[in-house]
Amino acid sequence: MTQEERQNFFKGMAFLAPWLFGFAVFTAIPICLSCYYSFCDFSLTVPRRAPLWIGMDNYRQLMHDSLFWKSLGNTVYYVAMALPAGMLVSLGLALLLNAKIRGQAIYRAIIFLPSLIPAIASAMVWMWMYNTQYGLLNYLLGKVGLPPVAWLGEKGAMPSLALMSVWGVGNTVIIYLAGLQDVPRELLEAAEIDGAGAMRRLFSVTLPFLTPVIFFNLVMGIIGAFSILTVPYIMTQGGPNNATYFFTFFNYDEAFKFLHMGYASAIAWIQLVITLALTGIAFWSAKKWVHYG
Amino acid sequence: MVSTVAMKFIKPVIFAMLAVIAGIFLILGSRQNTSDVPPGFTVVEYWEKWVGNEATQMRIIVDDFNRTVGHDKKIYVRYLSMTDIDQKTLISIAAGVPPDITGTWDTQIAQFAAIGAVERLDDLAKARGITKDYYLPVYWDGCSYEGHLYALISTPGVVALLYNKQIFADCAPQLRAAGLDPDQPPRTLDEFDRYAAVFDLKDKDGRLQRAGYLPLQSWYIPQLGLWFGADIFDAENHRMMLDSPAMLNTFEWIKSFSTRIGGQTLLNFQNAMGNTFDSPQNPFLAGKLVMQQQGPWMANYIAHLKPSFSQLLMPTSEEWKLKDRASNYGWGVAPFPSAVPDMENVSYDPFDALMIPAGAKHKNEAFEFLAYVNQQDVAEKICTLHCKNCQLRHVSEEFLTHHPNPYIAIYQQLAASPNAHCVPVCAIWPEIYKELLDSAQAVTLGEEPAVALKLAQQRMAERYDRFITLERRREQLGIN
Repeated sequence: MTQEERQNFFKGMAFLAPWLFGFAVFTAIPICLSCYYSFCDFSLTVPRRAPLWIGMDNYRQLMHDSLFWKSLGNTVYYVAMALPAGMLVSLGLALLLNAKIRGQAIYRAIIFLPSLIPAIASAMVWMWMYNTQYGLLNYLLGKVGLPPVAWLGEKGAMPSLALMSVWGVGNTVIIYLAGLQDVPRELLEAAEIDGAGAMRRLFSVTLPFLTPVIFFNLVMGIIGAFSILTVPYIMTQGGPNNATYFFTFFNYDEAFKFLHMGYASAIAWIQLVITLALTGIAFWSAKKWVHYG
Repeated sequence: MVSTVAMKFIKPVIFAMLAVIAGIFLILGSRQNTSDVPPGFTVVEYWEKWVGNEATQMRIIVDDFNRTVGHDKKIYVRYLSMTDIDQKTLISIAAGVPPDITGTWDTQIAQFAAIGAVERLDDLAKARGITKDYYLPVYWDGCSYEGHLYALISTPGVVALLYNKQIFADCAPQLRAAGLDPDQPPRTLDEFDRYAAVFDLKDKDGRLQRAGYLPLQSWYIPQLGLWFGADIFDAENHRMMLDSPAMLNTFEWIKSFSTRIGGQTLLNFQNAMGNTFDSPQNPFLAGKLVMQQQGPWMANYIAHLKPSFSQLLMPTSEEWKLKDRASNYGWGVAPFPSAVPDMENVSYDPFDALMIPAGAKHKNEAFEFLAYVNQQDVAEKICTLHCKNCQLRHVSEEFLTHHPNPYIAIYQQLAASPNAHCVPVCAIWPEIYKELLDSAQAVTLGEEPAVALKLAQQRMAERYDRFITLERRREQLGIN
């Protein structure tokens, strides 16, 4: 390393130092500590009450905890509904918004607007939309002679939350729209000259070029859907009868209501492993369906 | 060329300006405001969970203290009201910078004491003559955990039956037809159920428009067993009793409402109300709910949200005559009827607690404030402001006659009753609370009470056993 390279290295490190410090103090060290605490009985009140090493006991206990399985099942069910629904709707909207039509910018703004609304405000609005007795949706159903639906009832709550998640796809739509600008126009024109119809051009040209963006949204969607908390916390508080009690909600209760920080750390690590495993599967499968260039 | 030269100067100027701004923020920025503290005074940091009116009313007490006792003893209480105080208190303890006083709920006393998050107050209380005899027994018991005192009370509460006298009068013919007296509240649980059934009102589509009583609307679902003679937790023998016969009767009673009205119909109606406690849409104030369990503070909310409900006939000058006021109010209060014959004046008695977090820097000075809040005149003042009963064994005539709730004597009597109950003193109470809420929802939606309670008992017994096992291991290893 020459002197200039060394100087550049130190300059670079100096600029990086604030971030590195922040990352170490607020991310890396807490992650390592939470791993250690997941093997402890720990309730935050150090030094009065030191963490007690209990080995795998938290993890063993979790395997016997019916709420752990219930919340995990709920989360997987939600991800299975919300993820494909969100991806399909956002892709569909992006394709529509990519069409050259009058007022394109206005339509784009309308689709993007809901994602600017804070999650809590959205949840409050949707609570009233879903209200069984006075809600807008049941009012409209009544107008066409259909019976009211218990949107946030034991059976309806989960699909209703998944439906609501589609409301905030504006960000994903924008990413798809950006991806669509990268689809080479000459390829689309060549396909058209060769006689390919709109659907054929979509499946044979547009979508293959869009696969890196679809993949990105898939990974972000998995992470986002697995960590859902705010909306059910506001709308259903996990009910009725734990029908919307998600994994993150379970973790929150154990950590901050029941003060089992060790147990909650174990839950967080299991959540991380599950999310990593699903992301890993997505990466593994990406070799078969994602086309870069 | 010009722009290159200009940029050469502009960059350092911008950098210097940013550096100066950052420096100003560092020097003059966020720091504790000490200007309000007289020199030589010890500052006691007091965090309180109340926000809104109740926080403002407590500030009056803090200001009184700072002006009187605090001034004499050179103690200054700095008051900060906030949400999520339990979490913030714990995090501050972990960080080594706890407040000197934390104002939380009774449900956290055993939980915090069990994990060493709060200081024992036995010696401090004894030194100032604050003993069990000074308090109503139910509140003293709730402040203690495993024989030690961990909290004093800021304001107490009692849960009684609150009913809408106007709807009682409107439904007089139907009540009389059912053999019930429209001028009296129900006296037995059987009567209560019959009253509730008369008040239930459905529209042509089968939707509930008015409910006599909603078991799941109560804040006190896990405590409903008290009116059936149930003990949820046997503190002496460290035993959960969630599936006892009395609890089974309680949950059979909860289920009887969904059997009569329909579980989903009940939940739909309840959800339709939303979270409207502190709003004119409060189902009780809106006439959608005729009877409920509530504390004395409701009089303040009624006065604020629906004043006409409390001032039907009496002119203002006559307002303070409690007896006359009560007879003219649109709402009434009575002991919630018990399911057990001869068991009268059963009540649940929640309260707001003041605790000293572990590691607090000014423990003695903090206790001066706790003791001040529990002086009879001060306790009566804050309880009057908050519209609550008083935690003390003896209250003045003035307190009873000038209280904003004309039914305060009933509440005071309930709190003094041998059948008054505080929150179960159990380190895992928040978990039991959630479990019983879940069970009540399950039962309302069709689950058999015996099945739901058996599962709850099994889960909570396991959790409590684990807690005890870990505590013993800590004792053996000397890790406390």
